[in-house]
Amino acid sequence: MTWETFAFLIVAGFAFGVSGKRFYTLFKLLKAQKGKVPPFTDLAGRVKTTIVNVLFQKAVLQDRWIGIAHTAIFWGFIIISIGTVEQFLMTLVKTASFEFIGETPYSILIWCQDFFTAAVLLGVLHAAYRRFFVKPKNLGQSKDANYVLLFTGGLMVSIFFMNAFHVLGSDPWFQTSFFISRPLSKVFGAMGFDQETNHHLYTFFKWVHMSIVLGFAVYIPGSKHLHIVAAGPNTFLKKLNRPKGMTTINFEDETNTQYGVAKIDESSWKDTLDLYSCTECGRCQNLCPAWNTEKPLSPKNLIIDLKKNLVRNKAAILAGKSDEVTPVIDDHVTDDVIWACTSCRACEIACPVFIEHTDKIYDIRRNLVMMESRFPTEVQAVFKNMETNGSPWAFSPTERANWTQGLDVKTMAEVGSANDLDVLLWVGCAGSYDDRNKSVLKSFVSLLNKAQVKFAILGTEETCTGDAARRIGNEYLYQTLAKMNIETLNRYSVKRIVTACPHCFNTLKNEYKDLGGEYEVIHHSQFIAKMINEGKLKPTKERNETITFHDSCYLGRWNNVYEQPRAVLQSVPKVNLVEMRQNHDQGLCCGAGGGRMWMEEHIGSRINVKRSEQAIETNATTVATSCPFCITMISDGMKTKEMTDKIQVKDIAEIMDEAT
Amino acid sequence: MNLYVCIKQVPDTETKIKLNADSTGIDPAGIKWIMSPYDEFAVEEALRLKEKNAGSTVTVVSAGPDRAVESLRTALAMGADNAIHVELPDTADSNMTAKALANTLKKEANVDLIYFGKEAIDDGAAQVPQLTAAYFGVPSVTVVFGIEYNGTTLKCKREIEGGSYELVEVSTPAVIAGTKGLNEPRYATLPNIMKAKKKEVKAVKLADIGVSTSDQKIKNKNIQLPPPKQAGKKIDGDAPAQAHALAQALRNEAKVI
Repeated sequence: MTWETFAFLIVAGFAFGVSGKRFYTLFKLLKAQKGKVPPFTDLAGRVKTTIVNVLFQKAVLQDRWIGIAHTAIFWGFIIISIGTVEQFLMTLVKTASFEFIGETPYSILIWCQDFFTAAVLLGVLHAAYRRFFVKPKNLGQSKDANYVLLFTGGLMVSIFFMNAFHVLGSDPWFQTSFFISRPLSKVFGAMGFDQETNHHLYTFFKWVHMSIVLGFAVYIPGSKHLHIVAAGPNTFLKKLNRPKGMTTINFEDETNTQYGVAKIDESSWKDTLDLYSCTECGRCQNLCPAWNTEKPLSPKNLIIDLKKNLVRNKAAILAGKSDEVTPVIDDHVTDDVIWACTSCRACEIACPVFIEHTDKIYDIRRNLVMMESRFPTEVQAVFKNMETNGSPWAFSPTERANWTQGLDVKTMAEVGSANDLDVLLWVGCAGSYDDRNKSVLKSFVSLLNKAQVKFAILGTEETCTGDAARRIGNEYLYQTLAKMNIETLNRYSVKRIVTACPHCFNTLKNEYKDLGGEYEVIHHSQFIAKMINEGKLKPTKERNETITFHDSCYLGRWNNVYEQPRAVLQSVPKVNLVEMRQNHDQGLCCGAGGGRMWMEEHIGSRINVKRSEQAIETNATTVATSCPFCITMISDGMKTKEMTDKIQVKDIAEIMDEAT
Repeated sequence: MNLYVCIKQVPDTETKIKLNADSTGIDPAGIKWIMSPYDEFAVEEALRLKEKNAGSTVTVVSAGPDRAVESLRTALAMGADNAIHVELPDTADSNMTAKALANTLKKEANVDLIYFGKEAIDDGAAQVPQLTAAYFGVPSVTVVFGIEYNGTTLKCKREIEGGSYELVEVSTPAVIAGTKGLNEPRYATLPNIMKAKKKEVKAVKLADIGVSTSDQKIKNKNIQLPPPKQAGKKIDGDAPAQAHALAQALRNEAKVI
């Protein structure tokens, strides 16, 4: 046994021992989590998303330059690791070289390693330049990140030095494949050391390299760099059924005594994997409407703070002492943080490692609402209205169909069965009670009549879908309302539903399934686009104006409907459709999602005003919307900006009705 | 402490009231029923006092038709311990209701405090708390929006005319009728809602407590909805002309001056 083998056994044994123990603790912590995880299905889809997003870095590449740098570092990490494994083996057993794969393959491997060492070094330099000179706000200051860059840079430099002195000291047969290290060796050669000194220097840099690798192995489990282990599995295990509903609680299960998450150990192991995966890039924060209007919520900080909470409670969780675990709401994750979320899902769209931020917020809200009855005071009236009157607004349910007075709109009670209809029109609370949205519904009814669609409404039998209750955390109230609606819909054999409200749309389409309501649900933008395509609606009247379209989060990010509403607008003669600075999946929320419609916005500036400013920038004279909350919020924003005489806010149904 | 809260089930505030066929009451069809909002202040106040005094119990009592049990469950879900339902016809007046409540309470072992809402929002009579106190033989303080508890004495702030209040000291047992400002009623937690579903509601028949329809002093002969609101009228012209026209209208049309 040489001194090198002996030293390596001790150092590596120690390093891998400590690293292994730290990783094992993380694993035990993850396994100790009590929350339930929905079953993971669709293996093929999972493999595909892993290939696309891990191997080909699709999500990372959403941000181009740092994405390219990351891709270089990622692939470099894999290729160079092969060399590192060989190096470790050869330190143990001198003859354990990978040369057995053949002369040419081995030469290619050597070439690739030299190439990726350079690529990683460039990637690290770009990342360092960005971190220290460009300083994007989303990154923040992080010692951890600095160490990671220093370690990674150090690894690459030590590889080049090691290889160069390897060439000088041992004159290996494959040295021509060192297309960077070999020229470098010429530079070092100018120093005129003898071959033995060069060989010692090679050994020295080899040990520098191995030490950094082993040090890194110890460092990673306690660092944000843990993402190199967690992000891959997290991508494989992400919710594929986005657009997805929230998870449904089974209230019949009497063993379940905790609803939502009060303490971090009540979340699921998948939530924990999310926390492990975060590398603090801050792309989520960049897009967050709450953070961008000076609210205390940053999706990035939320994840970091939850991870800190988990680590802080490590001992109690591993000892199974749940009562000693401190609450998830603390000095950092405050009530205000949790209530600031509009559930717009921009954070999840931006996240390159598929962290599901909204689930964490929903779970914490569920505990606050259902277990602790702790929520913004103005919400209590909303819950009570929903409970007694089936609407977040205080109106008598007997008045729900009053908006149809003077229109030829039949109710299901009059029609009898949905089998005689093309579609059921789901009106929603806003369409039923809110004056501005009543006129949207009237326009849509007018379009349905123009296209000779056979439809009916539930009238006074319709009740709130429960979306807002669910997003605020009142799953129990949501299920009460949902079950009433499902009973009604199934009683009339409803199969096909159209609605002008993306919140109703999402809930009916994605969430009622779990409670026994399976329907084909169509948003009115899709329905109108289809009627145009089929020639049932012919927009002929010229509009002669510039229009910008505001994406609704529940239509866009939650359900991937971006193009049909735009197609509807573009079908109108002489419409110049322009996009706002933030559009499609990067669009800025109006501020009303996630139950925020019924909460006061008393921290920071107003989200709807910020969005209205983006609309004003486009010089459009009409902002088109496709959601009752958006139309309310953007109209309010325009009032604040005193732009109501220059810019009108209209639903696409109104614009189409005017054009046909 | 043994705390009692008397509550009434009333139509929801958004209900569009319709009269029954013979115009002696309202048509209950399609009505959503709730606990009278002032009674929520009463329940909340009792719960808060209980939470500060270990070993206390809160019992909610409602005299009314069978559906009143729903409102008792609402109070149980808020955190009340026991519930008593006194079977009382919908048509009962304040006197009969008060006597039924008082006689029910007399059968209870120890009564320290009886909370009410200052009035029920359906008939708005604001009589039952005081009448119950009289039948039960204890003092009452009504329209209370603040209470300072000090052993067996209570300092109550009660609203009086002119935006002012009076401070009334009363010793237990007593009737307290609360109003807005007393507290912010809680929203029931889900575990409490679940527990409330399983709790027993004690049923009391009128015969058991010596109350009969002869205790009903008032019967509705005929009730009418208020006339629909007239559209407002705008008076034009300069100030003297407007003043003149307004005075004329108040004298000749509204007949108030």
